[in-house]
Amino acid sequence: MKQTPEERRVLERMAPGVLCREGFLGEDPRPLQEILDTDGARVEALGATHEEIARHLREAYEDAAMGFGNEVPVAGGRLRAVWHEAMGFIPSPWGDGARFPKGEVELTDPRTARALRYTPLSVHMIARYGFYQGRGSRYRVEPDQVVAFFGLDRRGE
Amino acid sequence: MTFLQPILLATLAACGLTTVLAGLLLVAERYLVRYGTCRIDVNAGGRVLEVEGGQSLLASLMGQSIFIPSACGGRGTCAYCKLKVLEGGGPVAPTELPLLTEQEVADNVRISCQVKVRNDVRIEVPEPLLSVREYRGVVERIRDLTHDIKELRIRLVEPREIDFTAGQYVQLEAPAYGDNPEPVYRAYSMSSVPSEKAAIELILRLVPGGICTTWVFTILKEGDEVTFNGPYGGFRLSDTGSGMVWIAGGSGMAPFWSMVRHMKQQGLARPCRYFFGAVKQRDLFLVDELRQLEKELDWFTFTPALSGPTDGDEWPGERGRITEVVAKHVADGSELEAYLCGSPGMIDAAAAVLRGKGITEERTYFDKFG
Repeated sequence: MKQTPEERRVLERMAPGVLCREGFLGEDPRPLQEILDTDGARVEALGATHEEIARHLREAYEDAAMGFGNEVPVAGGRLRAVWHEAMGFIPSPWGDGARFPKGEVELTDPRTARALRYTPLSVHMIARYGFYQGRGSRYRVEPDQVVAFFGLDRRGE
Repeated sequence: MTFLQPILLATLAACGLTTVLAGLLLVAERYLVRYGTCRIDVNAGGRVLEVEGGQSLLASLMGQSIFIPSACGGRGTCAYCKLKVLEGGGPVAPTELPLLTEQEVADNVRISCQVKVRNDVRIEVPEPLLSVREYRGVVERIRDLTHDIKELRIRLVEPREIDFTAGQYVQLEAPAYGDNPEPVYRAYSMSSVPSEKAAIELILRLVPGGICTTWVFTILKEGDEVTFNGPYGGFRLSDTGSGMVWIAGGSGMAPFWSMVRHMKQQGLARPCRYFFGAVKQRDLFLVDELRQLEKELDWFTFTPALSGPTDGDEWPGERGRITEVVAKHVADGSELEAYLCGSPGMIDAAAAVLRGKGITEERTYFDKFG
């Protein structure tokens, strides 16, 4: 499938070493549109939406940021989160003018001991574009995992 | 279906032809078009530069030793390189629009890395940027301050001296390495004192996945040559003489480490209370040095505070979030000024506490990381 000039620019910005050392696509060989479509379909199949996933991640980030580097309870106390601050801001690779503090949230589910890492930029890209990053990317958010973390799986309803 | 085939073939042919023509135009613009010499008028005749047309405005200015802050290497994403282009900049490009407000567009503000110099242009550059220079230096020392913070000392080679004000920053160039195809610049406050003109010191905290800090932490070594430009920034001590509250965390230590020693050297005896927040003792640094200054200077106090759990962390000092510690120690801020350096979250939370103590927004100065 042909890329539009805008898609090409987005992909250039997502490459390693452009905005961050490892880029946003990891080792995922799939075209960007296929990554978006596959994750979008999975989120829909789970009965969730990008917006609500992003909202939960954003709330957890905001609570964690107020911990100033300490682990704090989030999501009504079901999960734990810690904000690892870093210097600087990172712009969105989509060229939409949005910029976010660098640093990462480490979110843990104490019941399963599973953890996921994400950034304020991750939240923006999920909310606005349904982009969970490529497989193997440092901040790839697996739809199944994040939906399970926040109890958003509505397949049985 | 056969009647559709000619339409399909014609559409494909038209698309192919358009693509080929667009490609040819791009190649022609890159390799064949010559814009000749263009004049860049800076600040209404303050400086007139003659440059070869065809490059971006940002690159053209850098080629003439006018350094505009830019963190993304001219890729049109960081939006740091905004300048007023009064004439000759052409229409605002689609790549600029997301980075500009409506007011900025109305005011002729442009993203200078996205403006191509194709003819004579008139621009406005803030005066302080005209004194920014590029420096080459050699890494004299790399010192571990904590498990994830290093101090980098750079001896200047060319030019051999730098003039700056305590609180200002430079942009350090991380060269192409590994998967990083092009150099990038990242901003770091100088932690050394302005009187020491032949060298600068920077304090860097490792950024997960960060291009520049990963390079400093894993590749850069003593004796290596580095390039930086500066000085930049308006984070500096006011000249009011008012008492001050300083608040920092992590590498936000850098400007204050410069300021306190500058004040000592200059005999600027201004009441100053410095609060430094960390999670655990292993995140603290320069504590002995600051305690020593506290003994020497009757106008200076230093209060480090730990916000992490107490388990196994013997600490006789303050405990709690830095905002709580500040709230406990600052009673009336109505005559004070506040200086803050750290993450945006910490600064916002601390500024809110300070408002409650009577320190107004006008008397609060901050350097939000980055």
